[in-house]
Amino acid sequence: MKFSSNPLLSRVLPAWRARLVLILLLGGFVALIGRSLYLQSFRNDFLQQKGESRYARVIEVSATRGRVSDRNGDVLAISTPVKSIWAIPEDAKLSPAQARHLAALLGMDVRELNRKLTTDSDFVFIKRQIAPDVAERVAALNLPGIQQQREYRRYYPAGDIAAHVLGFTGAEDAGQEGIELAYDNVLAGRPGSRRVIKDRRGQIVEDVASIKAPQDGKDLTLSLDGKIQYLAYASLKQAVAEHKAKAGGIVVLDVKTGEILALANLPTYNPNNRFGLVGAQLRNRALTDTFEPGSTLKPFTAALALEKGKVRFDTLIQTAPGHLTIGSATIHDAHVHGMLTVAQVIQKSSNVGAAKIALSLPAEDMWQMFDALGFGNPLHFGFPGEVGGRLRPVKSWKPIEQATMAYGHGISVTLMQMARAYMVFARDGDLLPLTLTKLDAPPLVGKTVFSAQTAHEVRAMLEMAVQPGGTAPKAQIAGYRVAGKTGTAHKLESGSYAQKFVASFVGFAPATDPRLVVAVMIDEPSGAGYYGGDVAAPAFARVMAGSLRALGVPPDSDLHPLLVANKEDAAVKEDM
Amino acid sequence: MSVIVQRRYTSQRAEPAELDSLLLWSAIALLLFGLVMVYSASIATAEGSQFTGHQPAYFLIRHGVFLAIGIVVGTVAFQIPLRVWQQAAPWLFLGGVALLIVVILPHVGRSVNGAQRWLPLGWVNLQPSELMKLFAVLYAADYTTRKLGDMGSFRRGFVPMAIVMMLVGFLLLREPDFGAFVVIVAIAMGILFLGGINAPMFGALLLLLCLAFVALVASSEYRYQRILGFMDPWQDAYGKGYQLSHALIAFGRGEWFGVGLGASVEKLFYLPEAHTDFLLAVIGEELGFIGIVVVVCLFALLVQRAYVIGRQALTLDRLYASLVAQGIGIWIGCQAFINMGVNMGMLPTKGLTLPLMSFGGSGIVANCVALAILLRVDYENRQMMRGNRL
Repeated sequence: MKFSSNPLLSRVLPAWRARLVLILLLGGFVALIGRSLYLQSFRNDFLQQKGESRYARVIEVSATRGRVSDRNGDVLAISTPVKSIWAIPEDAKLSPAQARHLAALLGMDVRELNRKLTTDSDFVFIKRQIAPDVAERVAALNLPGIQQQREYRRYYPAGDIAAHVLGFTGAEDAGQEGIELAYDNVLAGRPGSRRVIKDRRGQIVEDVASIKAPQDGKDLTLSLDGKIQYLAYASLKQAVAEHKAKAGGIVVLDVKTGEILALANLPTYNPNNRFGLVGAQLRNRALTDTFEPGSTLKPFTAALALEKGKVRFDTLIQTAPGHLTIGSATIHDAHVHGMLTVAQVIQKSSNVGAAKIALSLPAEDMWQMFDALGFGNPLHFGFPGEVGGRLRPVKSWKPIEQATMAYGHGISVTLMQMARAYMVFARDGDLLPLTLTKLDAPPLVGKTVFSAQTAHEVRAMLEMAVQPGGTAPKAQIAGYRVAGKTGTAHKLESGSYAQKFVASFVGFAPATDPRLVVAVMIDEPSGAGYYGGDVAAPAFARVMAGSLRALGVPPDSDLHPLLVANKEDAAVKEDM
Repeated sequence: MSVIVQRRYTSQRAEPAELDSLLLWSAIALLLFGLVMVYSASIATAEGSQFTGHQPAYFLIRHGVFLAIGIVVGTVAFQIPLRVWQQAAPWLFLGGVALLIVVILPHVGRSVNGAQRWLPLGWVNLQPSELMKLFAVLYAADYTTRKLGDMGSFRRGFVPMAIVMMLVGFLLLREPDFGAFVVIVAIAMGILFLGGINAPMFGALLLLLCLAFVALVASSEYRYQRILGFMDPWQDAYGKGYQLSHALIAFGRGEWFGVGLGASVEKLFYLPEAHTDFLLAVIGEELGFIGIVVVVCLFALLVQRAYVIGRQALTLDRLYASLVAQGIGIWIGCQAFINMGVNMGMLPTKGLTLPLMSFGGSGIVANCVALAILLRVDYENRQMMRGNRL
């Protein structure tokens, strides 16, 4: 049958219908192109901005925290790159063998790992801050859903030796203690930011632009001297162990500049592994703990009396019968000395002598001197937790208190304050501000407290204290003339004095041109002795000797005095 | 291209070409372009998914295999004369209906995202609705050819077809597969229209259909929400408008020349169904406006060739072949238009793939067979014009 001859055909399959269908379809395609043109060249800005809001993210680019080094450039704190392992639990379907392998690499329990991988969240840290080589081995396992991210970990090469000075950083690399906290704004640097495109699972797929470059933290050079710090720490450790003490502190100052060359406390901690840390380990005792200094305060009483012209170097003072009653209280000497010169009061550390000198002075003058020495106020050199100690207002002083303050009771100080105060004798009667950072140039002049003559006279008395007949012959060192003073104070416990002691020694050398002040404090020695001359002075001598040699300070004496110093009975036990 | 090919043939054999080279090349271009884009669109999701075993080429390999199967099956289909297709049409259609019934049986059909559209056959899934589109073309053309004299009559010409379509529509909506339903209705109506159905009556019916469509949309919360999402995807951009808003962002990012092949961000887990229903959005993002124009033009060319072949067949008095050819054009054209319209937010979202390009085994094979039949019509036309007997 031929349809073309069929008259029906022209009616039922008219060309216009086919053409209409074709035109409709092609018209639809033209509309599509029009729509595409609209979306891709007119509305693209709007759409792209919508897209940006969904997958463009501004991410932080962490800045490297600055290094902390000692004055010689040896690194004390440094940020090292480490990896953290995290997972998308939904994707991390590990076989038991894979899980065991991963757990073994990370040094964790398989059950712990499986517990983390079965949590509901989209993101879980498996282990943070692991060493780069371990991270590489984890990456080599090529496990599904296990990811890594780069972080920084703070590392302290000196470990527990300088722990209290440096402090440490916490989460997010922010300073939490010590220098890390005090100089956080210097060390931290400013994180930069980048605009990136992330896929829906949070992985960065494209780095669009850098908005702000990260500013790395600045390096910080401390005034500490690594060798002296080590020496101080080791000597302190030895003294604390030898005398079974509860705690201890040691400070080394540079007399010429006010720089702190060493600062150590015990107990301490390893800043690289702070697991199980307790509060007592954290205390930077030399700055944050106060104690009644005891006899180390006597030289200041003598100095004030000299300065005010109340006494001279050789003015005689009657200390017999070894006790002095003021009001209802009585001051005792451990030994009865009889008539003593002012210098001998210091050398033999007579409480009665010191009290008598103090009572010749107006209370107002004593208060002003203590205040000028920096007692009662924090040192303000930017260290966290610094305290000022207790110096009561002069109006509330009673005569007995003025008398006891003369030999260091009824007043409390930090070890650092004490060390600094001794700079007045090591220098020519003036005080420098202290610093924990290395100075380019020393401060020109300090704050004058005493005249140079007074300072020299007290220095001579302090030299006598370490010589035979003094309280601390064990503080002597070969080759240098030493000046210093012991302290042995009862500890105040809930308002009354207990049979517990704080033994201390503060001194400087070489006496002819002092370079270093070293202050040692041993808290609650419970071994054979508890006197400052027995407990603290040997540590002082070790540190001072080693430090002077390390600094290349020329000797100012021959090597003989040590022979005498080592004779136990030659030392005079100091008074309370 | 075709000119060159024809010339070469002429110079070598001094004979006209055996096939419509424009149709053949546009189809091949779309298939290969689709393969590349399926790979690009799926690579990230395939690598990031447990389901694919983290193989980046998971979908590429499968799409390639389906394409190969489609070409083999298409080559076989090409050998079959239209006469045979016409005889088989009612049976194929019945078979298709049977498959549609099987697929909605509980525990037989496989359900993905709340739609039960797949029959599991070992390592592949068969999607009966894709085959049904082809069978609908073959059957509607056969029906129209047989009832040519009744086309003017509502009762004898239209109602039987309408009843059949309602049955098929009912089965498709049970899955549900709204997209396939729309395409099959468009095919049937288109072929009836070409077959000369009473024009005023057809217009009235079209109106009725539109009303029915509105009623259908309003009756189902699921479909209603899909409409809302399309009207203003930004209103609930993270909820119902999520998919469309990401598709539109993809187009916006593409601009004129695209962000470059492989560089789409939307395909990185943002745009769901990037390698199937929303393949065009990835093309728009990676290859830009130019890429879209190329795709649309290739489809337009394909539709135009179907029209030309269909009209050619008519001049040779081959009514069935003519309607099949044009029916295939309507199918591919309609489905491509709807898919692209959905991608660009011109039409409500419904589960339809881009013919010849999107990932999907049944769809690709059915498309290849359809193209083979279209080429067969053309081949038979040429043979007849040379006076050869079929």
